Amino acid sequence: MSASILRASALVKRVPTAEGELTILDSIDLGIGSGAQVAVVGESGSGKTTLLGILAGLDLPTAGSVWLDGDEITAMDEEQRARVRARCVGFVFQSFQLIDSLTALENVMLPLELRGDRQAKDGARDFLDRVGLAARTTHYPRQLSGGEQQRVGIARAFASGPKVLFADEPTGNLDTATGAKVADLLFDLNREAGTTLVLVTHDAALASRCGQIVTLAAGRMVAPMAQQRAAMP
Amino acid sequence: MTLSLVVRFAARDWRAGELRLLLAALLLAVGAVSAISLFVDRLQRALVAESTSFLGADRTIDSSRAIPDRFRELAAEQGLAAVDVVGFPSMVFANAAERSQLASVKAVAAGYPLRGELRIAEQPFGAGRVTDGLPAPGEVWLDSRLFPALGLELGDRVSVGYSEFVVGAVLVSEPDRGGSFFDFAPRLLMRAEDVPGTRVIQPGSRISYRLQLAGTDAGLKALYDAIEGELRPNYRWNSIREANASIGRALERAESFLLLGGLLAVLLAGIAVALGANRYARRHFDHVAVLKTLGATPRDIQWGYTGVLLVVGIVGAVLGLALGVLVHLGIIAALGGFLPVVLPMPGLRPLFVGLVTGFICLLAFALPPLLGLRNISPMRVIRRDLAAGVAPAVTYGFAIVGSLGLLIWYSGSVFLTIWALLGAVVTGGVFATLALVLLRGGRVLGMQAGSVWRLALAGLQRRYRENVAQIMIFGFAIMLLLIMLLVRTALIDEWRAQIPERTPNHFLMNVAPDEVEAVQNLLETRTDYDGELFPMIRGRITVVNDVEAREWRQQQWRERGEGRGSGGGRGPGMRGERNLTFSADLPDNNVVVEGEWWSNGADAPAVSMEDDYAAGLGVGIGDTLTFDVGGLPLTAPITNLRRVEWDSLQPNFFIILSPGALKGFPATYMTSFFLSREQKPLLNELLSRHPTVTVIEVDNIIAQVRTIIDRVTQAVELVLYLVLCAGILVLIASIQSSRDLRLKEHALLRALGGTRRLISGALVSEFAVLGAFAGLVAVIGAEITVFALNRQVFELRTGLHPQLWVAGPLLGMLVIATVGYLGTRKLVHSPPATVLREV
Repeated sequence: MSASILRASALVKRVPTAEGELTILDSIDLGIGSGAQVAVVGESGSGKTTLLGILAGLDLPTAGSVWLDGDEITAMDEEQRARVRARCVGFVFQSFQLIDSLTALENVMLPLELRGDRQAKDGARDFLDRVGLAARTTHYPRQLSGGEQQRVGIARAFASGPKVLFADEPTGNLDTATGAKVADLLFDLNREAGTTLVLVTHDAALASRCGQIVTLAAGRMVAPMAQQRAAMP
Repeated sequence: MTLSLVVRFAARDWRAGELRLLLAALLLAVGAVSAISLFVDRLQRALVAESTSFLGADRTIDSSRAIPDRFRELAAEQGLAAVDVVGFPSMVFANAAERSQLASVKAVAAGYPLRGELRIAEQPFGAGRVTDGLPAPGEVWLDSRLFPALGLELGDRVSVGYSEFVVGAVLVSEPDRGGSFFDFAPRLLMRAEDVPGTRVIQPGSRISYRLQLAGTDAGLKALYDAIEGELRPNYRWNSIREANASIGRALERAESFLLLGGLLAVLLAGIAVALGANRYARRHFDHVAVLKTLGATPRDIQWGYTGVLLVVGIVGAVLGLALGVLVHLGIIAALGGFLPVVLPMPGLRPLFVGLVTGFICLLAFALPPLLGLRNISPMRVIRRDLAAGVAPAVTYGFAIVGSLGLLIWYSGSVFLTIWALLGAVVTGGVFATLALVLLRGGRVLGMQAGSVWRLALAGLQRRYRENVAQIMIFGFAIMLLLIMLLVRTALIDEWRAQIPERTPNHFLMNVAPDEVEAVQNLLETRTDYDGELFPMIRGRITVVNDVEAREWRQQQWRERGEGRGSGGGRGPGMRGERNLTFSADLPDNNVVVEGEWWSNGADAPAVSMEDDYAAGLGVGIGDTLTFDVGGLPLTAPITNLRRVEWDSLQPNFFIILSPGALKGFPATYMTSFFLSREQKPLLNELLSRHPTVTVIEVDNIIAQVRTIIDRVTQAVELVLYLVLCAGILVLIASIQSSRDLRLKEHALLRALGGTRRLISGALVSEFAVLGAFAGLVAVIGAEITVFALNRQVFELRTGLHPQLWVAGPLLGMLVIATVGYLGTRKLVHSPPATVLREV
């Protein structure tokens, strides 16, 4: 495995609540090599989503550091983190997070447009084609099924050519058959592009397709490396 | 973010309908303000033109001395039109009938009048027609009443001084006749170049010189600045405001009102823009979070949305201006019949005002919520419950600074602006408290209500923050409308009261004691006259405090260091005879400002004098005057000074004596009465039967004043309607912006089995309750503000308006329930799944 593209050290996340401070993440140390596929699993409320947010630079930890593609993103301001995201991060969300007012094509074009890519339209069309939605470019999200929406989401995530792809329960809102197809698509594209994949999921089958599993319980890592069986709920 | 990307984003938002409300609000802001400004600008120009015809010019310079050539030269340099008018009293002799009569001669140069119209007729007391000519040299035009008095017909010859003239026409009216009622004698209009031939102008003659001026405001101001130092004390600079105080006041108040209307329209439009922007921002929270995960930096977001706003601003401004022009043209077209004045072309300022208003509205009201988008956390994509938005302090700060700047710039009045804004902030606080109390009270009531009401009131209570805000916005809009309505009503009532219907428009003077009964009978049988004739005695002041009047006057001049004839104060000097009257009671339009009015039945001789006149003569309370009344001396002390409302169009006197003082002196009688235009031939009959009686016609002046006031009233009402439109749009915008939240809830209820009837009922009830609360809150705010405005700005009497306390809440309930129902009807009738997906 090559050198870590994503590394977390002594991450702590606490939030104030009415009953006092609540620790969501505690002493998380993690290293993810370039091209690796990592599943983060754990029960609801174990801190999976919070960890994903911090690793992707969407949120800041209370203590600890995160290095992404050689940059310590926890030492950056939001402006700089956004640039890092633009350069090397892609996302796939459980609730798809497509923009309702844009067509499928325009949704996929967004990350390219933000980077100032003049060929945004052609690039986006190409990716829609690769997820099998060439015929649906002018459809709005509400005109697409859940599976189709997530395929648009995946096309959008890969369109910008990210180094690391974060996926938050990508099949959580889909039925089993559709979920399986979407998962296949995600893993296929990931393999083709050589992207590092960090996947948060409840789904044991999905997690088992990853080479590395991180299990969280009450904010702590209980099975840091490749202990798949122990990590399965 | 590049410009083309911003434009693309804006276009996509437009396509999705996200920008429609914001654009509509902006369109309204720019449209309403530019329509009001355009209309007001043109109307103001028209009104000024109309009222200047009252002066016969834009400005005049008046003096008892000849107007220096230097003034004329300077006026010509400024490109101003200037015409000389000379007035003097002179006897007119009818050559054939061998009768004579004192006339007030007005000699005018070519070009007269610079503003307004001359009317002449072929028959005395005829209605007349407008003419743009003047008497030819060697010709005179005479007032109707000179014809019976001198036994004249058109074409007859009359003499003035050494010259003989042909009577060319009956002079019905001239624009600058108004103002002074000292000018009792009938008018004779002649050409200025004929004056030298009459040889009536001799050293010491009583001549009034007037230079009429017309031209641009800038030119007039430049002339005034150039000669200001030379005007006093011998020359008087007059504009319409000085020349006729009641019209001046009406114009000033109308301007204030139109301005207030404009201000309120700006505020209302601002609120609509803020609501539109808020809704837009709220609907973009997730959008922005996604953009951020895709790598958009906070700066990208900030500039991107500012850019979108700019695009909206440009489109809104251009379309808004077009709308403003169309609306104002529509108003003018609709009013065609009611606006007999031809409106002059507007200046560019109104369009500029509309444009700047639009952009400031955007900056102050729309930018803050959009800037808040910069701070949306990208974590929102995975945790939707994350709070978002701008700190209210920032929003309010922007809005307050923006409104303040806009209002000051628009009104040019810091006082009015600060006042309005303070009022708004205080009422805002009061509104919020009240709204909260009302909502709490509503829940208690709702517990006992049926299911529709319970649902409605529960909804109100659940979203009480949003509802308090909405009540404030509804309340504010309704309050602004009520303010306009109340102030307008008070203004118009006051104007109408100034010149009631059937105000006396004719004066009769010189009625001999033995004619009193006959004249009274004639008037009572032929008109609805029920007044009385009261005595008038000609008298001259001969001695002041044992000093001869001439000597006293010279002492006064020396003491004040003034030249002779400079005339401090108003009214005639001491030398000539003047009208004295006696009266037991203080006349209606008079107020005693110093000393006390004599008690009833007091027989002691006493004098009451008009205060300005007394100041001019240098006399006051305690000074003793001796009059020469028909050769007999009469001595009486001054016991009080009066202020007289000269605009009241009632008989007014400089000097009134106590009834005891004039007992036994021979008097003639005078009165005033109303005659309609159709009744005017009665004058001919009256003057034929009583040739020595003098008639003074002021009906034309009254008609002129009334016309101007009517036009101002129309303008005021129009602006009210425009503001009303702005108010309704705010209501719609406000309902739109809260629609999503309400509909989502109600769609869920429908999914759970609630009937359409239940949901519609609950929505309408909810809006009705909000409307009623808002109406109540608005009435309270309006009463307070109107009380203050009427006192401080319009100087009107004011009180509570009980009918409003019922009408306000009812109106609020009705309007908001209706607008709310219409605004949500479509979605209530769509399947719940569609609604849930769309909101």
